[in-house]
Amino acid sequence: MATMGLALPWGAKISSEGRQRGTRVESSQYPASNLVPATREVHAEDLEVAAACQAGEMHGYERLYTLHGKRMKSVARNLLGSATDAEDAVQETFMKVQRSIGTFRAQSSFVTWTFRILINTCYDVRRSRARKKEVTNEGTEENSLPEPKAPGSHPSLKLALERALRQLTDHQRQVFLLYEVEGFRHAEIAGMLEITETASKNTLFQAKKNLRAMLEPPRSQSAEAL
Amino acid sequence: MNVTCEDRERIFMDGSVEEWAALEVHAVNCAECGEELRVWKSMSTAAGELRQEWESPYLWAKIEHGLQEQMAEKPSKLLGWLISSRMMGFQWQTATALALLVIVTGTLLWMKPWDQKRLTSDAFLRRSAVNEVERAEAEYQKAIDKLAAQAQPVLNEQATPLMASYREKLLVLDNAIGELRAEAGQNPANAHLRGQLLAMYREKEETLQEILETKR
Repeated sequence: MATMGLALPWGAKISSEGRQRGTRVESSQYPASNLVPATREVHAEDLEVAAACQAGEMHGYERLYTLHGKRMKSVARNLLGSATDAEDAVQETFMKVQRSIGTFRAQSSFVTWTFRILINTCYDVRRSRARKKEVTNEGTEENSLPEPKAPGSHPSLKLALERALRQLTDHQRQVFLLYEVEGFRHAEIAGMLEITETASKNTLFQAKKNLRAMLEPPRSQSAEAL
Repeated sequence: MNVTCEDRERIFMDGSVEEWAALEVHAVNCAECGEELRVWKSMSTAAGELRQEWESPYLWAKIEHGLQEQMAEKPSKLLGWLISSRMMGFQWQTATALALLVIVTGTLLWMKPWDQKRLTSDAFLRRSAVNEVERAEAEYQKAIDKLAAQAQPVLNEQATPLMASYREKLLVLDNAIGELRAEAGQNPANAHLRGQLLAMYREKEETLQEILETKR
């Protein structure tokens, strides 16, 4: 794959406050559990929240929001590109959860089920947006990005990655965001996207390979950075 | 455990903890693997920066409001009508008649007698089947109308609480039938709606027969 002119300043230091992510690079057997602890308490809480929601109790939904609202907003923000749209998508997700709570069969965790609805909601929003753009014939690409304010200036690592991510397929982007950004495990991603764990691992690998190719700096620059 | 440069991508994709450790050791003396490993990890580190967190002080309030509104809309139109209109102040006879209605309707729905007629074999009926059902329904309705005409004098003559309850029950049933027929008109091939409509007709038929029984 050709490089996209998004040279990544590999030497740039990135704050990892709050998230020591460097070692959770790729193997699902790396200690992902410190991010999403699959403890009995979490499982019990998941069941409790699901039961409360199924009983139509508002505190169940409130608990769901308190526990996962931030991450839901983050996922939606990364999929939709706007905080306002993300909040709308989260709200719509809660409505959908309430409407279809009767169909929840606990085959996956309640949270996984909720995030599956969120992801589908985000893609509905994107499709709707795309249709509107077709109708208004604006002709702008859906994934077009705001250019850096100072053209030619060295883009930050985050910005470079953000831009490169938009070049991935939807599926690769979803898996990358859920695993690397939001810290979900492959088993959870598999449940959300209705794929196998192996497919999730393969997709992540392909996503990172593609990102690597897009972000690869010219050899000379790479050598300078070293 | 020893790994080589050829193992690198496989480990990146699905390596075990031990394999990762071995790759780290290998990368110390292999510039290419060292660089790839560093870049691979940097992507994960940079990805962490993409996590977005911001305060949304009004979001939960909006969600809660939406959920409550949706919850209020949830009961069926019939139940909504019962709750919102006249049912609240009714006498115990009406309550009994309604309870009976709910039980009978529930039993009918549970037993699904129309299954035997293959009305619900599919969620959507074929056109010919729809025509057949509509013909049968029209006949059934005519018969019920005749029954209603016979029962009407009894209902009008007797000013007893029981008759008042029957009148209310018939009113409820007629409303429900009207609603269901309107819905079935919009979606004529929906077997579930047809089944509900049939249950309501049966209930009305039985009610009218009960009224006529009181005369004897």
